[in-house]
Amino acid sequence: MRTINRFWLLAAFCALVTVCPVTAQDTGTATADETKKEEVKIPESTDMTLGVKDSPVTLPENFRGKEAEEGDLQWLEDVGVLMQENSNLYNVDAAAIAEAAKFSSEPNITWEVKKEDNSGNLETESTDNTNKATNPCNITDPGYYQVHNGGARQVSTAGGAEEDTDAVGQPSDETNKDDEGSAEGETKTVTAQQRIGIEVHDCTSPDVWVAFQEGAGTVDMAASEAELKETMAGKIVETKGRPFSVKTQDYETASYLFIDEGQDEERNRIPWEKTARLSIAGTLFNERGAPKFESGVLTAKIDQADYRNHVNVVGGEEKNLKGVYVRRNVPFIFAAMSTDNGNKRATTGLVTAAIETADGKEIDKDGASYMFRVPNYPRSQYPDEPDYFFTTNATDKDGNVTTVRMPLYVVETSAAFEGGKNN
Amino acid sequence: MKINSLFVAVFVMLAGTVTLSAQDAPAAKPSDATPWLEGVTIGEHPTDISPVLPMKISLENGEAVPASLSEDVPLTVVAQTAIFDDAPPATYNGMEIPNATWRRNPAISWFFIDWEKNRNYPASSTVEMAVNQMVITPLQPTGKGAITCHAGRKMRYDSAEAGKSKGTFANSSVAADVQVLDITPPVCGLEIATEDGRSATFWVAENPPNKYPLPKMADVYLSGSLANTADPAEIITVAGLELGPNMVVTPEQAAITVAADAVLKIKANGEDNYKLDTAKLKFGICAGAGGEPTPISEVNATEVKLAGLKLPENPHFYVDASDVAGNRQVLYVPLKIKK
Repeated sequence: MRTINRFWLLAAFCALVTVCPVTAQDTGTATADETKKEEVKIPESTDMTLGVKDSPVTLPENFRGKEAEEGDLQWLEDVGVLMQENSNLYNVDAAAIAEAAKFSSEPNITWEVKKEDNSGNLETESTDNTNKATNPCNITDPGYYQVHNGGARQVSTAGGAEEDTDAVGQPSDETNKDDEGSAEGETKTVTAQQRIGIEVHDCTSPDVWVAFQEGAGTVDMAASEAELKETMAGKIVETKGRPFSVKTQDYETASYLFIDEGQDEERNRIPWEKTARLSIAGTLFNERGAPKFESGVLTAKIDQADYRNHVNVVGGEEKNLKGVYVRRNVPFIFAAMSTDNGNKRATTGLVTAAIETADGKEIDKDGASYMFRVPNYPRSQYPDEPDYFFTTNATDKDGNVTTVRMPLYVVETSAAFEGGKNN
Repeated sequence: MKINSLFVAVFVMLAGTVTLSAQDAPAAKPSDATPWLEGVTIGEHPTDISPVLPMKISLENGEAVPASLSEDVPLTVVAQTAIFDDAPPATYNGMEIPNATWRRNPAISWFFIDWEKNRNYPASSTVEMAVNQMVITPLQPTGKGAITCHAGRKMRYDSAEAGKSKGTFANSSVAADVQVLDITPPVCGLEIATEDGRSATFWVAENPPNKYPLPKMADVYLSGSLANTADPAEIITVAGLELGPNMVVTPEQAAITVAADAVLKIKANGEDNYKLDTAKLKFGICAGAGGEPTPISEVNATEVKLAGLKLPENPHFYVDASDVAGNRQVLYVPLKIKK
């Protein structure tokens, strides 16, 4: 028994001798690890790249006179661009973030577009949490924008265990630490972000409204013109350029000609496929004076160098828009206004409008209104009377243009206009 | 000399390597492990200077953001970063940024990330406040969340090429990790059907949603032929009950009417805005309404034969539910016996 006891004692001693160094070594390693852990500092944020991956158009930095060294991208409205970004946050492992750190979540990736307002403040236009590092971006209104990518990912130091999150109801007294280092085993969210400045150029011709209104009896035409302009200004902004009605009865007091970017599916087409919709409404657009509302699509013409569009409406005998027919000896006024997508059609713009002869000589008002005393329509019956044309020109600040040139006919009151109206 | 030359050569090689790495901006290599990088060909680091500036976010009074927030409780946070300084930094990572000037206003974005869903929610405020402030109102509980702030500002500086300058962005972002406590009781209801094919459903919806301060309020909805014989499709609304452990629908407001010998199939519809504690879900028929339910049918029985019960004077259906945070809802709906 004594021998056996001695054997066990010896065995126990040997075991201790064997274990003790191991324990000592473990302790040493643990101390080193702790020191190492203490040294591990997970940064609050890291850098990020952001750029264009694919675009159907590449414009020079000085496009349309922009300053090249500003570093902004030059885009055309309505042209989709594929953006891409990258950061150390998206790697397989977190070694580039901090030594011995590991990712404990997938990255969270959010794309955001901000637009500069008139005060220079950048307001959010869209936010898209895709969790993808590429993103299609299509900006449909001109202006200065910033595309922003914000990334975040949970990063843990060694020992940063998954927490039991079931009991979300037990408040904690903890606060977020101010120090930059991370405590042992801590999991924290690391962020990254980058922005890019983008000048989005207007490629859409302005919307134009023209209204013609006849006076009768003792109507104050100057007051009528002011009222007509006020009505137009309110409606063109309210409807964002679209005709305010398709009912002919809404055009009994004035006849309207509308040129706008079109219905929903016609808007925001790529610049080289832009169209415009011409709508004419009221009694003054046919020789019989019959009320009508007609609408059709026109193709805009783009300048291949600077991508400015021109919508040109030409009226005439062979055209859908034959012209405007006014009655002899009846005073009339007209007003023209435009609105543009450059400021989301929030305001009205100036339009030059005139009645002129074939050689470009402008016809003046007769007092507060226009009035023609001699008919010139049908043209075959009045070959010696001059041709008249109604013209407008609206140009937005980026140089996109909408123009109208159509004949203005003066009809014999009883023979043509009145007869047609009675029919 | 040779040693010195060798040292210089190694240094130049190293420096060359570093420069090359930065300029070449090695393309990302997406893999199955990094599906978010699919299609990405850009490197991880900007090739030009784009300073990353430190940021701190805190409460209005300067205190640190608490690690625990309550859902629906607004919190005003403030960001401090050199993005708001009068001029950009003159140096970054040891590199000079000559004649740096801001070119545009700062752009700031605040978000709340729910890491449990990996979803990010933008914060916005209709209240006029300083550019570096935001009101964050977390609307959903989460065990892992983060308030993040991202700020950036366009800047311009003189480039190495004489007479030229460059535009770039200074960036600043940070996160405050938080959990969001659940303070909304569950919104549970029951589906009841009889053997003759008739049925009724009642359910609960928080109204107004995300109400704070407490108590939470809710409407109870009932539909089906057992709730409304005349028009089973019509939904009866009992509005304005306090969402909690004492939700009592009175007989004047609504009731489930069944025959005295009906065999009821009962199914609970358990819902919570975070996590329902399914082990605590109880339902059935009880005596009276209000306070702790007094069951008279087997708890959680999916089939109840009324003929086998000794019905009290004022029987009710009840559903008693709790979420994992301990918020409790007990709803009582009158049970009427068809005469």
